[in-house]
Amino acid sequence: MAKRSRDGDGKDEESTPPETPSGRKSILRGTPNKLNGIATVDATPKSLRKVLFSTPAKHGEDDEDDDNVTPTTTRNDRSARRKSQRTLQHVDEASDGENAIVQDGRLAQQILGEDAVSEDEDEDDDDEDGITPSEPQSGPDTPSKSGKLRGRPKGRRRERTPSPPPDLPPHELYFFQNRTGANKTSTNTLPSHVLLSHEDYFAKIGSYKDPHASDIDRLKRLHKRAFEQWMFELEEGFNLCLYGYGSKRLLVNEFAEELSAEAQDKRKIVVVNGYTPGLAMKDILNTLARVVIKSKLKLPTQVPALLDEILRSLTTDANAMSFTLVVHSLDHQNLRKPAVQAMLARLAGHPAISLIATCDSPLFPLLWDTATTRQYRFLYHDTTTFEPYRVELDVVEEVNTLLGRSRRRVGGKDGVAFVLKSLPENARNLFRILVAEQLALADAAPAGLSSHAAFGGGQDDDDDEEVLGASDDDLAAAGQHTPSRRGRHKRAPVKSAKKVAAPVVRPNAAQGMEGVEYRTLYHKAVEEFVCSSELNFRTLLKEFVDHQIIESRKDVAGTERVAVTGVGREELEGLLEELV
Amino acid sequence: MEYEKAYVLGTDDDRPAKRRRIEAKGLHTSWPHRRQAYQTAWKQQRDAIETRLADVDAATVEDVSTFLDEAVVNTRSERIPTGIILQGADGGSTALNQIRKHVTSMQRARRRMVVLSANAGSNLKALLKALIIRATLQQSGIDEDEEDDVQSTRSKGPRLLNYDLQILCDHVCDRKLEQIVIAFEDTEAFDLDLLSELIELLGYWKDRIPFVCLFNIATDVDALQRLSRSAMKCLDGKLFDVAPSGEAVEQVLETIITSKSSLWLGAGLISMVLERQSDYIQSIGTLVDSVQYAYMSAYYANALSVFMASPHTRELSTTHFEAARSLPSFRTWVLRILGERGPEDIKDLLHNDKGILDFVVGGIEAGQGVLNKMIVALKVIRKLQEALPNTTKSALSTLYVQAMSGKLLGTPALRSQLLLVKKVPSDIAVALLESALSIEGFESAARASDSVQQELKTLLSKQKDSTQPLRSEDDIKNATLRTTVVAQKVELSKQKSALSEQDKAYTALLGRISNMFQDYFADTLINPKDLLFNEIFIYDHKSPYREVFTPRPRHAIERALASPHDYLDCDCCAPGHDGEEATLASTQPPSAVLYQLYLESGNLINASDLWQAFQAVMGDDKDEAETMALFQRGLAELRSLGMMKPTRKRADHVAKVMWRGL
Repeated sequence: MAKRSRDGDGKDEESTPPETPSGRKSILRGTPNKLNGIATVDATPKSLRKVLFSTPAKHGEDDEDDDNVTPTTTRNDRSARRKSQRTLQHVDEASDGENAIVQDGRLAQQILGEDAVSEDEDEDDDDEDGITPSEPQSGPDTPSKSGKLRGRPKGRRRERTPSPPPDLPPHELYFFQNRTGANKTSTNTLPSHVLLSHEDYFAKIGSYKDPHASDIDRLKRLHKRAFEQWMFELEEGFNLCLYGYGSKRLLVNEFAEELSAEAQDKRKIVVVNGYTPGLAMKDILNTLARVVIKSKLKLPTQVPALLDEILRSLTTDANAMSFTLVVHSLDHQNLRKPAVQAMLARLAGHPAISLIATCDSPLFPLLWDTATTRQYRFLYHDTTTFEPYRVELDVVEEVNTLLGRSRRRVGGKDGVAFVLKSLPENARNLFRILVAEQLALADAAPAGLSSHAAFGGGQDDDDDEEVLGASDDDLAAAGQHTPSRRGRHKRAPVKSAKKVAAPVVRPNAAQGMEGVEYRTLYHKAVEEFVCSSELNFRTLLKEFVDHQIIESRKDVAGTERVAVTGVGREELEGLLEELV
Repeated sequence: MEYEKAYVLGTDDDRPAKRRRIEAKGLHTSWPHRRQAYQTAWKQQRDAIETRLADVDAATVEDVSTFLDEAVVNTRSERIPTGIILQGADGGSTALNQIRKHVTSMQRARRRMVVLSANAGSNLKALLKALIIRATLQQSGIDEDEEDDVQSTRSKGPRLLNYDLQILCDHVCDRKLEQIVIAFEDTEAFDLDLLSELIELLGYWKDRIPFVCLFNIATDVDALQRLSRSAMKCLDGKLFDVAPSGEAVEQVLETIITSKSSLWLGAGLISMVLERQSDYIQSIGTLVDSVQYAYMSAYYANALSVFMASPHTRELSTTHFEAARSLPSFRTWVLRILGERGPEDIKDLLHNDKGILDFVVGGIEAGQGVLNKMIVALKVIRKLQEALPNTTKSALSTLYVQAMSGKLLGTPALRSQLLLVKKVPSDIAVALLESALSIEGFESAARASDSVQQELKTLLSKQKDSTQPLRSEDDIKNATLRTTVVAQKVELSKQKSALSEQDKAYTALLGRISNMFQDYFADTLINPKDLLFNEIFIYDHKSPYREVFTPRPRHAIERALASPHDYLDCDCCAPGHDGEEATLASTQPPSAVLYQLYLESGNLINASDLWQAFQAVMGDDKDEAETMALFQRGLAELRSLGMMKPTRKRADHVAKVMWRGL
């Protein structure tokens, strides 16, 4: 039927004056078309209409049409032009006797009247219009009513489209997207194999050619033109803060190099990579101290004392060189503590130190209070570069943390293989034994599992398990293994066992595999001459524990069990093959 | 290098000294000259500001210093002498620094000053540690041998913990220190319980270590009320009041305006700077920085500013003269002259570089002279306001902003002020004229006022017998005796007849005085934008100032991601010609595509669906793994920008954190 109406549109254009706003009409019509168009795809509109209007319902149809024109439309109709149009149509109708024309005429009238007729009414008409042809036997006495009842849901469905009305102001959009019931998302999950591992990621990103490379380059050249201005600003005692989207590392490094080439006094430039994992204030100060403090005296070990010493020697030492401090990602997590920022600000506030800093996050000015801001004495420049954060971000890890899957990296097959490569023969053998035993246990598991399932089944429903699983992953992301959480890990086997048939195999599903009893493993190891004493055995195991490849825990009965974690069963099998 | 935590760049000297800079061309050739001009101009300005600021605080600093000096002599007190310095929100560190200078200069090495700020430590140990380290470390560099002595004495007894005040006590004894001043830089930021504890502890040591405390308070003394009772008992306080921040701003601004500098700051810029200063509590330093940056921009970005340094013709490339000739103010002037006198005068200016150079330099001087006169007029207005009854003295900054925008002459305030002049009694009129004439620059401008003053004096001398001052006819106050309202008209006429001959003469004289002022203001309060070559010596651009001091990083990032075309200016992502924002397209940078999909979603986002949508936009035909890599990169970027975070609510979902434009 939707097709029909569209066809009707086409006819309109022929039969009505050229000012028909057919474009808008077609949009209106288009929506229902998309919604239920599939059903009528094959039926050609023409034949459909022929069939419809040759049915006995034709009479009723006519009646309804009359009804429709008289009560609502005429009441609201104040346009003389439309009135004349209608009379014309009636004449047409009478002379032609063709119902199709009536239908078209009505459509045309609606189209014409669209801008004047109120929206509500328009919708009503629309709905009826959509309904009528498909409703051959609708009674002539209550046609409009039934039409309305049937038509309503469709109108409502149209309202419910996920895309908000266009051009909402930001706050309205916020409320629109946060309204109750708006938050209906699907339960689809991302298949784990789709996410790339480090290796694949770097391979793909390395081969990716950015179509915008030339534009990005031009943007960079634009920023480079400001170098001279920046130098002037630095020389006048201001510090620079560069912000904006994209990595500014290369740009700033280039600037720093130019700075050192331009400077007459061969001033030293100290570069701090704020994004480096584990960077602490101490690292920065130590590097600075090497530059600033010439004497061989022992440096203070305390960070504040070291800072004081540096500043003091800069102030008092007459031939102390002034230098430039470059801090990439000043607002990085590593440096976000107020104390650290205060110290950096003290450094920046010293006349002998110029600071060039880059900030990536959108809200970085909130890091500083008035006093700190004052000390920084920043001039801010928008340096949007669109360069990828190649070094600053560990993309794969970030995404895994974001989606709660960080186990992949530490425990994934690649990771295990990597660790194994660096271990001695004995350790590898031990691991082989462990994997083999674990797989054997898993093969023999079904009986054991059922008991587990019974034990876990009453505890939680599926949804809750899901949430718990996610929280576990989060924890793993943070790298914390609190004992209290271990208990939860224990419950995880239930989940994985139940979800064996699920289409998505979560990477950490294997963590639920039954562990190998500690004693058994030890004896096996001794048998195979992997180790000679328990101490020896423990040392070997510790290496794996440190890498979070295996985990040791007590089961319900209190026996200690050792299991490989974070690796799926298939992956385990693959590992075993490689090891043997 | 990129994975190192910190490193020193270019330690090896074998790096080729690459000189990227090619010979400067065009307008840029004059940059060295301009830079020199900037340096002289700004140095003059800065010195003026600094002396002014020192004066602002001088009195308080003096008081505090004498207080400290007294405390040295008078050590018998059980309590710790305490100075409470109220200095408004402005960090006030200038005052502290001056105090420190005083303390260390007077009898160096016998007194120490330690500045503690709240971030020095969050517990007593840390605070004490910081205090001890700073107190003992201060002069260690100066006398190395003494350092050894200290070490030796210390090593005699048992090793002390580094937060033990005994260390400080030993230090004081060794050096025979007379005073340890502890200045709390930001008292409000301290945890008051912690502060109380510290003070109590210091109180216990008062008999051995000569402590003095200084509290820097930004808000109100009430901030100290919540100290514990026992801590309060240890203190012997005295209050000092530093000039409030607003007044300091006014003072600095006055200095900037009146310093006879060659560069003038326009109304738009100044009002913006002042607005920022009052809206966000900023220190005076920020104001000075703003002005400095305005100077920098003016000289860096405006090549014509080189003319302010009166250069020689050969120092400048011809482009400069061309640029000067194409200034709008010059063009309007030329048009006017053409209409008045014909082309002869102008020909030389258009063809002869030397001619235009002299003309521009002269024009700038003339313009500056006019502006200087305007400032004098502002001072006159303020003097009038001071002398007139019932008028508040308006701030120089407001007057300046009004005058620079050329609107002061028409303001109702000024008009009513001139009307008031007509009503003043003679005693006020005399004072008014005197104070106006005392202003430097005014006497030359209003020569007429001299004769007026003479006349007024003669008029007054005739009036010697009466103690009453002369009244003006226009002053309604003279009708105060009227009691009936009905016969208002009649009484009014009576009033007039009651005025003496002198009063009449005085009224006429007042009319002349008022007219004189009116003419004077009409002459001086011109619109600066009408001056010839005002583009050179008036700097009034908001643009670099706004971006450089009040950045909008969030907006910049959102804009970059939502409409990358704005930055990249590429052909592929250009928005439709109807001016609407570009719609999603696979040609846009992948992260931008992802961000726009992110914008469309609600507060929870299904990662899988997001991936599907992303893939659909990027094109299904592409290598899936490559698209995935881009997708992951985009996700990681959004996360690191703080736009999404992991959620535990549902599996494989992420939470949306930032809405655009909020």
